Amino acid sequence: MRRRKHMLEELDQDIRDHIERESQDNIERGMSPEEARYAAMRKFGNVTRVKEETREVWSLIWLEQLLEDISFGLRILHKNFGFTAVAVLTLALGIGANTAIFNVVHATLLQPLPTRQANRLVVIWVNNLVQSWSRIGPTGQDYLDWKEQSKSFDDLFLFEHGTGTVTGLGEPEQVAGLRVTTNFGEFFGIKPVLGRTFRLDEAGSRHNFAILGYGYWHRRFASDPSVAGRGMTLNGEEYTIIGVLPADFAALFPADVVVPFDTDWVKRVGTDLGVFGRLKPGVTLRQASGEMNVIAGRIATARPSRKGFGAVLVPLEAVRVEYLRPALLVLLVAVGFVLLISCANVANLMLARSVVRQREMAIRMALGAGRLRLIRQFLAEGTMLALLGGTAGALLAVWSTDLLNIFVPSRIPVPNAADAVTLPGIHMSGTAVAFTIVISLLTGIVFGVIPALQSLRCNVNESLKEGGRGFSIGPSGHRTRSTLVIVESALAFVLVIGAGLMIKSFWHLLEANPGFHPDHLLTLRIKLPTDAKSSEYREPRQQAATFQRFLASVEAVPGIQSAAFAEIVPLSQDDMDMGYFVVQEDPALPPGEHLAADYRDITPNYFATMGIPLIAGRSFSEQDNLDRPRVVVIDEMLARRFFPKQDPIGKHLQIPDATRPSREIVGVVGGVRDTGFDQQPRPTIYFPSLQSPDQTMSLVLRTTLPPSAVLPAIKNAIWSVDKNQPVFAVRSMDEIISGIVSAQRLAFLLLGVFAFLALALAAIGIYGVTSYLVSERTHEIGVRIALGAQRSDVSHLVLGHGARLAGIGVIGGVVAAFALTRLLSSLLFGVSATDPLTFVVVAILLTLIALAACYIPARRAMRVDPVVALRCE
Amino acid sequence: MSTKEDRERIELLQGTLDLLILRTLLLGPAHGHAIAKAIEFNSEDVLQVEQGSLYPALHRLIKRRWISVEEGTSENNRRAKFYRLTPKGRRQLAVETRKWGKLAGAIARILRPTEQESES
Repeated sequence: MRRRKHMLEELDQDIRDHIERESQDNIERGMSPEEARYAAMRKFGNVTRVKEETREVWSLIWLEQLLEDISFGLRILHKNFGFTAVAVLTLALGIGANTAIFNVVHATLLQPLPTRQANRLVVIWVNNLVQSWSRIGPTGQDYLDWKEQSKSFDDLFLFEHGTGTVTGLGEPEQVAGLRVTTNFGEFFGIKPVLGRTFRLDEAGSRHNFAILGYGYWHRRFASDPSVAGRGMTLNGEEYTIIGVLPADFAALFPADVVVPFDTDWVKRVGTDLGVFGRLKPGVTLRQASGEMNVIAGRIATARPSRKGFGAVLVPLEAVRVEYLRPALLVLLVAVGFVLLISCANVANLMLARSVVRQREMAIRMALGAGRLRLIRQFLAEGTMLALLGGTAGALLAVWSTDLLNIFVPSRIPVPNAADAVTLPGIHMSGTAVAFTIVISLLTGIVFGVIPALQSLRCNVNESLKEGGRGFSIGPSGHRTRSTLVIVESALAFVLVIGAGLMIKSFWHLLEANPGFHPDHLLTLRIKLPTDAKSSEYREPRQQAATFQRFLASVEAVPGIQSAAFAEIVPLSQDDMDMGYFVVQEDPALPPGEHLAADYRDITPNYFATMGIPLIAGRSFSEQDNLDRPRVVVIDEMLARRFFPKQDPIGKHLQIPDATRPSREIVGVVGGVRDTGFDQQPRPTIYFPSLQSPDQTMSLVLRTTLPPSAVLPAIKNAIWSVDKNQPVFAVRSMDEIISGIVSAQRLAFLLLGVFAFLALALAAIGIYGVTSYLVSERTHEIGVRIALGAQRSDVSHLVLGHGARLAGIGVIGGVVAAFALTRLLSSLLFGVSATDPLTFVVVAILLTLIALAACYIPARRAMRVDPVVALRCE
Repeated sequence: MSTKEDRERIELLQGTLDLLILRTLLLGPAHGHAIAKAIEFNSEDVLQVEQGSLYPALHRLIKRRWISVEEGTSENNRRAKFYRLTPKGRRQLAVETRKWGKLAGAIARILRPTEQESES
């Protein structure tokens, strides 16, 4: 290092000596001293370049030059503050939007599950294609059969979501519960923060052990480290707390309390269980699927009630992101476009400026600067701009990430499965910062290289010869800039089409009639604790009577217009209940064939409270109780499908595999979209809850008061009946609806924002190119006017140029949009991905905006004074 | 600007300057100006060296340790830097010379028929 420095210091001296010797030789040959010195220098060549090349031999030079480029670049950027500000802002928008969306993607798609071998875990559902049940929970016996017969899995894990009533710790609380097989800890590789998980052999008999979720332990037990071994009252029974789950496990199961199944219990439980399998190494999903369906066939032979059921295997990692993935993919493409448009705009700005700097470049080249060195100068400037933009963009992303947290739901539904998964909050992570830096650097390179290559095409001699007159960018420069603008317009077109389709679709979604009046509805759930042997709620009659008492008490609360209980509230994704039935008056079906419908148990006032229209017959009344003939109400879907051209009133339905008496159809009501706005109503049978009691029911209230105003009174009304009865899942229907359209809303809002950005940037691009064109052609325009061209001809010339660019952009955009809007199709409702109306409207809109952007330069062109323009010569 | 004499001179091929420097130093240590002169003189002024380009080349050779540098006094008693071939440089010269011979021979073989054609 020192040696190198020493050598370079001496280089100057060496060169001086060399030239002096050469001059001396020349003098000896008879030249005058002046002549001799001049000849010697000419023979030596460019001293600066020699020095530079020599220094380059000593490698670190690269870094030195970079630092020089950077400080030079900073000076240039500082000098052109307006240009810098516009470029940085444009980039900040592009990079900020990308970082924000990356945060969402990182929090959802890229977050690893808190379990070992997550990539080998699969969720196993059963389906029944005949009844179009695509994903329902298996029974306990299914699980036992699978576990015994399948060879594709290392292990199978069974769980049941539920809620439990915790009493004795202050206000009674309904907690999120999870009942699991005792291989729980081993299956997920859980390392409890406290105590232990269950032991395999604890499946042999019933153990009242409980493991606490980290959040619940923190909230209710103040993170007490001595909690293991303590007791708690759950559903009226005493449990022993044996451990606490790690905090991150909530991303997989947001349970407050985890309790074990024993094998006898597993045999008894019916449907709606959850099963995970861990694939053996080397076993593919397809192989496992095949095996499981063979087993399903065997099960159907052994247990005829399971006929028609198959197995559905989906990787756990895929299930988690299924709902949001289409929206996020669309948004990723959209922000990518926004970034490209910002790049194109900044490249355009730099190109415009590079014309101004052409003279500078020519001089530097004439003085011996290498072309590579100049390219590097452009790249350094571009990269610095991009890093400035990236910094501003990161700030923008931090701010908008808070905003995104509002729009990205924390609970996202699992499609078709009446289930939901919990998402962690979105925040700016270290990975996102790295992402921003990488994307900034890439951006800098992209828009730095274009003007660099462009300006290097210039000819040194020509540039210098042209003297003081304005430099022109030349035909190839125009082509580059026009191409950039066309690409920008095309990208903007695609984004606006996407936004347009989403707007139309979202509007359809909100306009869709769910079959009831969703406004001013408040819902909450109540689960009667029945586990304890001493529980007074074990008797179904008691359950029905208790809900009656709750209802009477709630109806007395001021401000409540109407109230009812229902087993499941529409759109809530809380649960599913469906089953077979037989029409008594119809000929018997061939064995193995079934009619199926959704079952709903309701109290008499339910249809009135929900605003579900009664089409024929009557609704239920207080008299439809266990002492009276059994009755049902059906919906119009069931009436239409199973009683075509007949009056269903007075017909009887029977539930197979039950000794229960047949039920007379007394009424028909309108269909309800139970699972989502985009789903058709399904055939439904309503049972009076007095004749068909449930342990868990949802209260629906119609009130014009805000939920927070009535909720305390409602809780008190319920506690006046049973002071130990918690209420949970308090939600307004508006909240429920916003939950099920969250993916669409996210895509709709963000696409809207991005499309707006894209339009604005494209308009700026078109404006920039057109006004440059006008200023460059001022002379020509002056000549035209002097020769008698009308001012309107001039403005047509300018507008025509802008319109042509936008037109080509729109054509390219239509082609791209046809290819890309397919990505949107799973998010669209009631509108096709190639909706002609949207395409036409957006094409017109974009052309109008392009013309508006050209208007100012066109006016300037019209005002060109031929005398002034020509005098410029 | 350029005289007729200039036009008959040939610019050096990329990389051959290193070879010429090594060859010149085989005769003994020399300072920069002397090396330039020697190359021009020995090529009977056909090879034109832009003298400045000698210096990056010299530094390149020093970096590769093919030549070394030492202080000394020149013929007219002035301080000067003398460049000297190292044993490593001597070996390199042999390698490079052989390579050059091969290259020149190959090119000559390719060009010869054209020569004959144009003569006939």
